[in-house]
Amino acid sequence: MFFSVNYKSGKPVYLQVVDQVKAAAASGALQRGEPLPSIRPLAEQLRINRNTVAKAYAELESQGVIETLPGKGCFLTEARTPFRKEARHKLLAEEIDAVVVQAHHLQVAKPEFLELARERYELLEQKRHDAAPAQGES
Amino acid sequence: MNAEKPAIQIEGLERRYGRAEAVRGLSLQVEAGRCYGFFGRNGAGKTTTIKCLLNLLRPHAGTVRVFGLDPARDEVGVKQRLAYVPDSVAFYPWMTVRETLDYLASFRDRWKRAIEAELLARFRLDPSRKTSELSKGQRTQLALVAAICPEPELLVLDEPTSGLDPIVRREFIETVIGAYQAGDPGRRTVFVSTHLIGEFEGLIDEFTILDQGREVLTLGADAARERYRRVCARFAQPPPPPPFDHVRVTRREGRDLELVVTDSAARVMEWLKTLSPEMLHAEALTLEEIFVATVKTGEAVP
Repeated sequence: MFFSVNYKSGKPVYLQVVDQVKAAAASGALQRGEPLPSIRPLAEQLRINRNTVAKAYAELESQGVIETLPGKGCFLTEARTPFRKEARHKLLAEEIDAVVVQAHHLQVAKPEFLELARERYELLEQKRHDAAPAQGES
Repeated sequence: MNAEKPAIQIEGLERRYGRAEAVRGLSLQVEAGRCYGFFGRNGAGKTTTIKCLLNLLRPHAGTVRVFGLDPARDEVGVKQRLAYVPDSVAFYPWMTVRETLDYLASFRDRWKRAIEAELLARFRLDPSRKTSELSKGQRTQLALVAAICPEPELLVLDEPTSGLDPIVRREFIETVIGAYQAGDPGRRTVFVSTHLIGEFEGLIDEFTILDQGREVLTLGADAARERYRRVCARFAQPPPPPPFDHVRVTRREGRDLELVVTDSAARVMEWLKTLSPEMLHAEALTLEEIFVATVKTGEAVP
């Protein structure tokens, strides 16, 4: 999988790596049981500090997205979250609030906004669907 | 998080050359395991500071500690545990690359032959060449090999990439520092002074900007990029000047406004939004842009 770092975004570099792994997992570009690049090569490829990659992987592990098998590396786990449903909704609601505020400032009205959200969700499902057959039976 | 002593601790450092003050009251602290950037213009006092760390110069005031030790009293104790690559390196001209490395290895407790072989091959350095026949860039490469093989706890680099061609420079940054830190990530510390801030952008996790012998900014790299923003906005009417002191207006022409925000970007964005902008765009500054912004605006010190 391909990672990239954008310093202009102002988002901490380790979070950029976290988000990209999560996006790849959600879209099916990265499949359950697939290994993530190991720390040093990824640090070299992105020209970032290895500590940054290690921090990103630790964060992904604490969120239950990946697991580390000693001596083998990091692997994508089943989409399984350590949070209960209310907690998950609360986490997501915070993110949605920020987007809703942004929508207000960009003068995107509610029906338009909801339609856009649906489109984006379906796009992700489509990507997952397209990525799935490549896996074969497991 | 880490009970170890800081790799470097500098407090109130002052150093003059005759009447010229090179460093005036510098304080900074580098925790073990970090990759710490030390940025400043020519003559800002970077090399003088580094020389005080190595007991190549004595401070006129203030204290310098490396691994908690005073480099002037415990010179061997400090130097055993660090390696230094200066901006211009010199070797005995009659020695070959091989002889030079063996000679330098003789001063060290440890010397990783595998790393030596890997780096010599990567840099395409011929061990049988005399050091006098090496180019400036090749001499820097040799110095880097010699610095990393003993696996020191602290690597002090003064303009390490000057004189290196772009390909070697990339390689140096991608692999040499990675190879060095991978051995024992929690304890291997890099202290690097450089002008090529952009090249080190991803490696640096904390930095100090030095100007005219004084610290102007010390921050974590992620925190810095979160704090420093360039904001561009366009309005229906020419906008009023922004009522903030942590904002520098870089352009205000007709309906356009361009700002560099050095703190509380959220408040500035709120203010801009109340003016109903037609266009509003914010992006983080890179470390190099932060450097330029802070050093350029820094008050001239009398």
